[in-house]
Amino acid sequence: MSRKENQKNLLFTALAQAIIDMEEESATAIAKEIVRADFSSLSAIEIGVSGGMEQVGLLYESGEYFIPDLLVCAEIAETAVSILLENAPKEPLKKACVVIGTVAGDTHDIGKNIVALFLEAAGYQVIDLGKDVSAQRFVEEAVTHHADVIAVSTLMTTTMGNIKDVIDLLVQENKRHLFTVIVGGKPLSEEFAKEIGADGYAECAIGAVRLVNKLLQIKSA
Amino acid sequence: MPKVQFSNSATSVFVPDGSTVLEAARIANITLEAPCNGMGTCGKCRIKLESEQADYVLACRTTVEEDVTVFLENKEQENRSMKILGEGQSFSYTLKPCIVKNYDAGKTKVIHRTGIVGTEEGDTTKSIYGISVDIGTTTLVTTLIDLRTGESLATEHALNPQSEYAQDVLSRIHFASKDNGIEILQTSLNKALNGMIEKMSKTAHIDSNHIYKLVYSGNTAMLHMACGIDPKSLGQYPYVSQLVGNTHVSANQLTVSPFAKIYLPPIISAFVGADITSGILASQLFARGDTTIFIDVGTNGEMVLARKGTLAATSTAAGPAFEGMNITCGMRAAEGALERFSIDEDNQISYSVIGGGKARGICGSGLLDLTGELVRSGVIGKNGKFILPEKSPVKGLGKLDGKTAFFITDEVYLTQKDVRQIQLAKGAIRSGIEALLIQLDMTAQEVDRVEIAGSFGYHLSESSLLDLGLLPPDFKGKVSFVGNTSSSGGAAFLLNTDFRDEMAALVQTIEKIELSNSEGFEKLFVKALGF
Repeated sequence: MSRKENQKNLLFTALAQAIIDMEEESATAIAKEIVRADFSSLSAIEIGVSGGMEQVGLLYESGEYFIPDLLVCAEIAETAVSILLENAPKEPLKKACVVIGTVAGDTHDIGKNIVALFLEAAGYQVIDLGKDVSAQRFVEEAVTHHADVIAVSTLMTTTMGNIKDVIDLLVQENKRHLFTVIVGGKPLSEEFAKEIGADGYAECAIGAVRLVNKLLQIKSA
Repeated sequence: MPKVQFSNSATSVFVPDGSTVLEAARIANITLEAPCNGMGTCGKCRIKLESEQADYVLACRTTVEEDVTVFLENKEQENRSMKILGEGQSFSYTLKPCIVKNYDAGKTKVIHRTGIVGTEEGDTTKSIYGISVDIGTTTLVTTLIDLRTGESLATEHALNPQSEYAQDVLSRIHFASKDNGIEILQTSLNKALNGMIEKMSKTAHIDSNHIYKLVYSGNTAMLHMACGIDPKSLGQYPYVSQLVGNTHVSANQLTVSPFAKIYLPPIISAFVGADITSGILASQLFARGDTTIFIDVGTNGEMVLARKGTLAATSTAAGPAFEGMNITCGMRAAEGALERFSIDEDNQISYSVIGGGKARGICGSGLLDLTGELVRSGVIGKNGKFILPEKSPVKGLGKLDGKTAFFITDEVYLTQKDVRQIQLAKGAIRSGIEALLIQLDMTAQEVDRVEIAGSFGYHLSESSLLDLGLLPPDFKGKVSFVGNTSSSGGAAFLLNTDFRDEMAALVQTIEKIELSNSEGFEKLFVKALGF
């Protein structure tokens, strides 16, 4: 391995660790160092930022980390990404585009916001439509942004049914094949996702990242 | 059609192929609690099948393809021994009851404030009764009251039978708005209430035909369901109530006088109900010269902040963790539940169990005590994480499937996931408190009194609420537990008709805050998650 290659790997690993350890200053410094050394921003995001967030997700799943920890890590990841992209060359930046929102009738969006942060940290282009988003709007925005994925969330049992409206509208407008649809939120389940004809369900933020990775891979294969 | 035999009740029922055991139980009229309404998430509808090796299966997830025999846990005993509190603080007021009687020429006229509502044979002037009904999401409390004297003659407690269909408010709204859900819920409630009316009448030696008025205190969703009104709009933004309250509805489904009516107190908003209006009345929040925060700690943490007559109200979805749901060893406050827990100066633990026997699980108050003490003694860190077992000052930390848990006995323990559930529940209530303080532009320090209402709250201690950070540290020494003010306020509505219009006018002036949609709530909530 060349010295340069070695330095790159060390920096990427250090960036991941700084995110996991919630060390904002050192994450910022490392990201700047990566930019100075002119290493690929995309690989830095993929290995350093995404890799770090993957570990953070695992720590959350095992109960080690909790929501406040996720938010701190995600914020640092976001800062790192913006530094890495500041003077990024013209390389194709984003993996894919995800349109995300809380479904019509529901105004709870903390969970959805965390998922959006994780997807961003994983390098996806995320269009956050906010809360109480109508089926109509999900479809329109997905078309406008040439999105690959539509991600719909709800916290309330009473608004679960509204998620199906998004899928039904896609089918009705003959656009279902254009988008991968994923769902999430406290009252939902894998079974529910199947029942309403969604492509997948994830229980937590890192699960959503894995799910999108997997579904898009299948699609492109 | 396969036959489902319920072993311990000697009941059997034939159901269509592919029905779930839960559906079969409902057809057979057998009580099988399914708090999550068959979503397969709460794990409380455990049963055992004769044909299966497995220790248990979930009734809601098990379909019937052939004849089966089902073994149920006997919940009835548990429910009977449940601790529910009937009494609440009240205030002194003059009697001005809603019903009076007048005897003349062999007949007694029954007179409501709007006029004569009926006539009875003979002289019944000495028998005028009313009932204050507290319809909680989980529990029902009824108090029989002599309207001539104001005296409470009998009280009954029961589980709200609707919780068998859906435990939390949102699942119940969901259940009510499909098929004939609302009829099922209304009928089951009326059946339970009629049973309670019969028991109270027997205890007090009165004729239930002489009950002329009921006051229904309950959260907004419960009142919709009690009245057979579709609560769907409560569960969708912008969360609109179909009822405003301060009205009467028919009581003809209840075994009371044919002239009887049900009074619904004024409703504050979709998620702050008549139970809180009754609480405001009972605790006289509006009449105080100081600043008081009134909090009903429960599945829905409803709360009111009153500063010199200015009132703001909100509610938070704490979820069912406080009732022992979603907690690995959680259970209701019934026999075998650990209800108190403490750690002394020498780091020795002690605890008490309802009924005095061996601990079978942990109920809400035990859960808050346990978590509060573990936080105070540093076994759980400020971020909610268990510390390393070798660093713990208190014995009990161990591994369960490779993950840290705190063991009280081999079978009763608290997992890291359980602590996370408690953080979410207490964070919801704490962030509600903070949002109210912001709304009235004041600090926790400026609050003079903290009143914790509700029967669940009554079993809590100030220290564990503070240790958990469910209440801000500045509330120390200001906390009192006021009991079931939904019931005592309901009684006040029965006994003095002036309160109705007064409270209706007051409710108009209360600032209603919808948290999920208010600016900066996410920050408040995330901050409130830590200990």
